[in-house]
Amino acid sequence: MEEDSQASGRYAIDLVRYALACHASGKPIKREGIKAQVLATSSIRSARTVHERANELLTQHFGLKMVALPSHEKRLTDNTQAPPTQQQAKPVPAATKWVLQSVLKDRAREQLELVQTQEQREVLGFAAMVLSLVFVSNMSVSMDQLVLYVRKLGPPRCVVATGEDTESDSLSDVQMESRAREAIAYLTRHTYLDKVKMSGGGGDAGVSETQATQQQLGDGDHHDEGMVYTWGPKAKTEFQPIDMARFIAAATGQECNDEFVKTIGRAYGSNIAATT
Amino acid sequence: MAMAMDDTAHEQQMLVQWCMAAQVFTESEFRQAIQRTYCTEEEEDTEEIQPVIEQINSSMSAFSLELRSCMDQTSGIRNWALVNTNADTISTGATPYTASELVTLKTLVEGVFTEKMGNYSLSLHEALRMATKRNGTVAGTLTRAETESLIRKFCADGWLATDPDGGYVVLGARSIIELQSFFNVGFADYIRLCSLCKEMATSGIMCMECMEAVHPYCANRLASASGNQLTCPACNKHIEQPRKFGPGERGIPHIVESVAGSVRGDSVGLDEPATQSIKKLRIEDSSDDEE
Repeated sequence: MEEDSQASGRYAIDLVRYALACHASGKPIKREGIKAQVLATSSIRSARTVHERANELLTQHFGLKMVALPSHEKRLTDNTQAPPTQQQAKPVPAATKWVLQSVLKDRAREQLELVQTQEQREVLGFAAMVLSLVFVSNMSVSMDQLVLYVRKLGPPRCVVATGEDTESDSLSDVQMESRAREAIAYLTRHTYLDKVKMSGGGGDAGVSETQATQQQLGDGDHHDEGMVYTWGPKAKTEFQPIDMARFIAAATGQECNDEFVKTIGRAYGSNIAATT
Repeated sequence: MAMAMDDTAHEQQMLVQWCMAAQVFTESEFRQAIQRTYCTEEEEDTEEIQPVIEQINSSMSAFSLELRSCMDQTSGIRNWALVNTNADTISTGATPYTASELVTLKTLVEGVFTEKMGNYSLSLHEALRMATKRNGTVAGTLTRAETESLIRKFCADGWLATDPDGGYVVLGARSIIELQSFFNVGFADYIRLCSLCKEMATSGIMCMECMEAVHPYCANRLASASGNQLTCPACNKHIEQPRKFGPGERGIPHIVESVAGSVRGDSVGLDEPATQSIKKLRIEDSSDDEE
C-alpha cells in the first residue's frame, strides 16, 4: 500500500510536468498521451488516483487545475439548445482531454497583469467579439450572419492566413468575404467555434438564407446548408456567461449591473449567475 | 520589504503563473510583479528578491523546474526564465513549434554557436541560407519569406536575437538560459566564460596573453574601476589592444574537438552527447597570418 502510494506520488508529479508541457505547447492534455508519457510503466491500478493527486499538486504549487475539455457540439435544435454550463440529463462520457485552468480569483489575475503577446491579445479580443455575437443570438448563428459580422469587425491579420498588411477599404468585396471566412475557419480550427447541424424549423430558414446568399455571390459550395455556429470546447472552457455579460457591457460602455445581466441572460436564453 | 506572509502559497501561485506567462523577463519586470503580488510599493534592493526566488525554486524543484538567469553582456541587465532542468521525453514536448520549426531552430542555434570565427553570430543572409537549406531529416525546405518570418518568430520568443544594427543573428537570452546543458554536452569546446562574472560570453574582448574572455559590460566595469586601464581579471596583465569577438567583429577562432573525419557543423541531437572518437581541429584564422 505504501509502495503504491509512493509510486502514485511519483506518477502524479510526472503528470503535472506533462500537463505543464502540453499547456506550454498549446495542446490539450490527452488521455492517450498520459498513458504513453506518464503511466506507460505504471502498475498503478487507478489512474484516477494519480489524476486527483496531480490536480492537488497543480493547485497547491501553480494555482492551476486540469479541467475536462467539453466535447464538440454535434447538433443543435431550436427548442432544446442548452447553455453550455447547465448539466444535461443524459450520461456524460468520460473525459479524454483536459486543459489547465487557473484557480486564482479574477481580481488576483488582474492584479498580476499577466503577460500576453500582441498576437495573443488580438486573437483573444477577436474571439471574444465573435463569441459575444453567438452568445446573444441564443448560442447559434448562421454562416452568413457570422461572415457579415466578421467583415464589419475586420479580422486581425494574425488569424488570416493570406493576410497582407492591407487596409480593409482597399480590399475588394470578394477579398473581404474571403478574409472573413478564413478568420471564422481559424476560430473553428482552434475550437472557439463549432460548426453544427441545425435541426428543426430554424434550420430550414437558415438553409434557404444560405442558399440565397450563395446564389448572389455565385459560390457553388453548399456545405453550409443547415449549418450554424455555436461555442466550441475552447470557448466553453475560457469564457463563462458572466464574462460575456461583462465584456458586452465594457464594449458598449454600459454598466454591468443586475438589470444588464438579466437583459443579456434573456438574449442568451438562461439566467446568468455571477460565479466569481 | 514588508511581505504579507500569511498567504504566501497564494502569492507564490500568482508569481509562478506570471513567470510561465512571461517566459523570459528582466529582473526589473520580475520585481514589479513581486510588488504587485505582495501589494508593496517600496523599491527593492537586488538581495530582497532572492528569498522569493529561493522559495519558488524550492517549490518547483520537485517538478524539475527552476528560475535561472543570465546577464545581458552589453547592458548588464539580468534576464530570468522558469526552465526545465530535466530534458526527458516529457519536457521536450513542451514546445509550441512544429517538428520542422524545431529542426530549423536547432540548425540556427548550432550555426550561431559554432560559427568558426568565434563571433557567435551569423549574418542575416547566412542565417537565411542555413535555415532554408537546413541540414536535417525533415522533408521539405522553407522559402526565404517563410524563413524570415520564422527567424522573427524565434527572436520574438527569445531564442534568437539580432544585434542593434540588425545585420547579425545572435543567441537570445532564452537560449543562453535554457540551453546551458545542451551547449555543455555537445559544444563544450565552443564555450567561453567571462573571467570576471563566470557567465557564458558570446561577445566581448579576449586577453591575448591568457586567452580568457570578458563581457563588454564587465570590461567597462573593470576599466571604470581602475581609471580606464583594462586589466585581465584572470592573469592580471594589462590589455593594451583588446581583441574583440561578437557580431560584426574580426573574432577569435575556436579550438574544437570534432568527430573523426567529419567537418564541424553537422547537427548534434539535443539529447545525443558526442560519444564517437574525436580528434583536435584548429580552425585557422587567415587574418592571423597577416600579423
